[in-house]
Amino acid sequence: MGSPVSQIDADAEVPERAYEDRVIDLDFHVNPLEEDLLAYVEDDVVRDKLTTEFGPTPIPGKWDAAYAIKEGNEGLFTQGRAEYAEDVREACEKFAIDEPIVNAGVNNLPLQHHPILKNGVVQAANDYMLDHFADEDIYTSMLVPKWDPEYAVEEIERVAAEDNVVAAYSWFGPKTPWGSEQFDPVFEALVENDLPLLLHGSLAYWPQHSYIGDEMLTWTEVLGFDWPIHTMVNVVNMIMRGVFDRFPDLNVVFQEGGHWWVPFVRYRMDEFYEMHPDDVKITPRKHEAGGELLERRPSEYLRDNIYLTTQPLALPRGSGQARDLLELSMADDMFTYSSDWPHQTLDPPTWFYTSRAFDDELRESILHENAEEILRL
Amino acid sequence: MSAKPEIDDGYSRVASVGEVPRGRGIAVDVDGIEIAVFNVEGEFHAISNRCPHQGAPLYKAGEKKINAEDTWTESRGGVNEDDLTVSCPWHLWELDIESGEHEVSGKCIGTFDAKVVDGEVFVRI
Ligand code: FES
Repeated sequence: MGSPVSQIDADAEVPERAYEDRVIDLDFHVNPLEEDLLAYVEDDVVRDKLTTEFGPTPIPGKWDAAYAIKEGNEGLFTQGRAEYAEDVREACEKFAIDEPIVNAGVNNLPLQHHPILKNGVVQAANDYMLDHFADEDIYTSMLVPKWDPEYAVEEIERVAAEDNVVAAYSWFGPKTPWGSEQFDPVFEALVENDLPLLLHGSLAYWPQHSYIGDEMLTWTEVLGFDWPIHTMVNVVNMIMRGVFDRFPDLNVVFQEGGHWWVPFVRYRMDEFYEMHPDDVKITPRKHEAGGELLERRPSEYLRDNIYLTTQPLALPRGSGQARDLLELSMADDMFTYSSDWPHQTLDPPTWFYTSRAFDDELRESILHENAEEILRL
Repeated sequence: MSAKPEIDDGYSRVASVGEVPRGRGIAVDVDGIEIAVFNVEGEFHAISNRCPHQGAPLYKAGEKKINAEDTWTESRGGVNEDDLTVSCPWHLWELDIESGEHEVSGKCIGTFDAKVVDGEVFVRI
């Protein structure tokens, strides 16, 4: 009577083949408890303000992805909350992630008002991450404050040489894109210390308080599209303003900024630049160096210096179309796998095994080779 | 030793009632088909174990989160007893546990007959 039955009791949540490959995850968030983090703030005045009068993270009112999630801000903990190294290892086991590059992604920090308090949080987060992750043999990305390049350099010099610190983590947004010359000292310190710059989306500056943005009311509009738009603006700004001619060894990874826009940016940048390159010589870096043109075609910087994380990867259904899109998007050179654990947009490395769009070579580039190259693992 | 329960042909025993706590599920392979079996207030429901979104194992819905005490909802997805839905542990798609439907996408997964006889859970594929 009946059919053969066996109970499935697997901890694994991804195809078994994923366990055979090396999987490096470029965006794994840990979430220290506030009181644990604040215990690391060294400046007495800053700690006092952060723990009493202001609370730890004062932020102005704004739209938030939480409005689209049944459970509100709990969406940031959809999978749980990693506080220590053993939590990270437990989470990674389910998804065949071998090397998570963890960050203390306090992604609302850029939005807060007070630079001294924000720097206090950066210092505390870096020390917390060293103690609880880098010292426990987990690769870690250190926080770098975008709002204070001078302090950013100080912090890089203080933390970058520690074992298992493999990247710097900061944020992109629509205000002051990273092509601005004020960031040159930061780039110089990163290149000297062999660290790639990971830039993550920060809680939205735009579209709030702008003519278009105030009317954007849904998660799809805002989270789905503002970060990719910010990313495009930052990428094109860095390339056209000569960042990579001055720092050819700098690698920049945009996290959660989307990726299918690459074909558009790639061809359009080249077309516009080749039609009218005359204003490149009056950008500050070129002007100072007496240069006329970029040293390479704009799309070559995209291929060589810019990397993108994959999550969430929304593939076209047909594998032929998906393969074409991956090719046009220079995925083999630019894409790096990310899970975004534990957030609501989690992306386990399932696609790479279930879609026929990936051959072995492409899968390996995305899952580990591109990351190995820029992290120098 | 108790007598074998009386049950129609085509049903396969997948578990004892006590093995599936209320609000949780188990996964079984019945003749090569992965099925999640959930206990919803003592009623048992069988549904494909693979989420129609990206293939998460649905039986993990309701699993305790890492450091659950420091989060609000404590579990990864879960069973909603009032709505008769299960929300997926990865991205919380809500699936009708009786029809297997996901309303927004229009996607649908298989559901199966399940019944309890003498404290044993049976499923028919
Ligand atoms: S895999 Fe189930 S909701 Fe995404």
